[in-house]
Amino acid sequence: MLRALYTAASGMSAQETNLDNVANNLANSSTTGFRKRRVQFEDMIYQNVVMPGAAATQQTTFAAGLQIGLGTRTATSEVVQLQGDFSATGNPLDLTIQGNGFFQVTLPSGETAYTRSGAFQVDANGNVVTADGNPLTPAITIPTGAASITIGLDGTVSVTTAGQTAAQQVGTIQLALFPNPGGLNSTGNNLFLATTASGDPVQGTPGGSEGLGTIEQGYLEQSNVDVVEEFVQMIAAQRSYEANSRVVEAADQMLQGLNQLGR
Amino acid sequence: MWQTQPVVEMAGRVLLPMRRKNLGSGYYAACAGLRAQSQALELIASNVANISTTAFRGQQPMFHSLLASAGHQLTDPLNHAINDFGVLEGSRTDLSAGNLERTGNSLDLAIEGKGFFAIQTHGETLYTRNGNFQVSPKGQLTTAAGDLVLGEQGLPISMPSGDISISPDGTISASGAVAGKLKVVEFVPGSVPVAAGNSYYSGPAAGLRPAPDSSIRQGMLESSNVNSVKAVVDMIAVQRHAEMLERAMTVFESNLDHIAANDLPKV
Repeated sequence: MLRALYTAASGMSAQETNLDNVANNLANSSTTGFRKRRVQFEDMIYQNVVMPGAAATQQTTFAAGLQIGLGTRTATSEVVQLQGDFSATGNPLDLTIQGNGFFQVTLPSGETAYTRSGAFQVDANGNVVTADGNPLTPAITIPTGAASITIGLDGTVSVTTAGQTAAQQVGTIQLALFPNPGGLNSTGNNLFLATTASGDPVQGTPGGSEGLGTIEQGYLEQSNVDVVEEFVQMIAAQRSYEANSRVVEAADQMLQGLNQLGR
Repeated sequence: MWQTQPVVEMAGRVLLPMRRKNLGSGYYAACAGLRAQSQALELIASNVANISTTAFRGQQPMFHSLLASAGHQLTDPLNHAINDFGVLEGSRTDLSAGNLERTGNSLDLAIEGKGFFAIQTHGETLYTRNGNFQVSPKGQLTTAAGDLVLGEQGLPISMPSGDISISPDGTISASGAVAGKLKVVEFVPGSVPVAAGNSYYSGPAAGLRPAPDSSIRQGMLESSNVNSVKAVVDMIAVQRHAEMLERAMTVFESNLDHIAANDLPKV
């Protein structure tokens, strides 16, 4: 049977994965702090019909050889770290990172997770938590009766209480930076977990030279999904799928012609 | 990877009836032509399937006339005309560059120019244009498949922590401290990359040289260089060519054999 049939089938299944990814990106085009993913494909092994450099005669060798590729496969889907747009909310606990750092939060299991979504709130105990209630790490507690909360570019959190003029410092937000943020594990709820691929995070105070970035108060980072780009990707996936199905058709017709020989 | 017999050898077997000056040899000629067309379709299928593969290099089919190279002495012009068909001589890797797509990841590297990154897999040095790199648990720079990326001296690169910047000449640094330099090589004219799958290519050590003209773009990846328009046009050509050869085979089989078997004895 023609290898082309299976090769084209691998291309079609790759484009299906591509479309699945586009669908998830588009569905999250309004998710705060969302990081889109990009699917990477790799070519499969090659069948060497004539090995390049093989002896053609005793004196000569084949200059190019004949290598027939056997298709494609989905290799990885990496997290794309382009910065999303900022939108002003005016809420004192809406934070964005102008840089490559991540906020650190503690999950109920005690594990540390990382997020770009800076929509924080204060829980019943005064702790700064995410929308899902996971506390920021290191923990920051806002005292009761705080009139205003100010967060500096370097992550310093200070509050003023009613009747007091001097601001009181209650903690500093620390950020984490990954050598390879593309290798982070998305666990949903805007959270990422460190993996061996992402490397171990470096923790630090915002505004330093490590590239963590600075914290902007009163803004939220929007999803970094570019709807136009996703549509282009979707059309490309659709057309590539069609092109692969045309190959199946061509191979089918050739085989059909062969089968009808001698009738 | 497995090896089958070279095309010329196989075609040589096809040529056997021809040496006997059998009228039906045109049938075998069409058969070999059809075989070449089906292999060409397989090449096109591989290109189309890899239209979204990072840094993929398309394969172009090359046809040649069997008689021109096989060295068979054919004195009979009719036999020559019948048997002068094209067989697929080989595939050529199209080395033209693909588009660069921005990803924003500091370990995504694209090469502008003819260069290839050197990587090590199972003790063998291979070359790739796919710069979708990551850091291993040991802190070394690897490909997405986990194979070590080699530095200028042919040794793995230990990555520093922090914000990594990679200059156009391949120097890796973090916060101003230099951690190493990527090995970037190009194939010398006349030396061809042999595709090894997983976006890797192999080549003889003598066929490679440093690529000072290539520059590295951080935060970008190169897309496949397959031209979908050309692929579809090639595919239609292959399809029509195959149809023609199938028609030719039908003619040989039905008409000529019929005449030989039924009509000639009656003359």
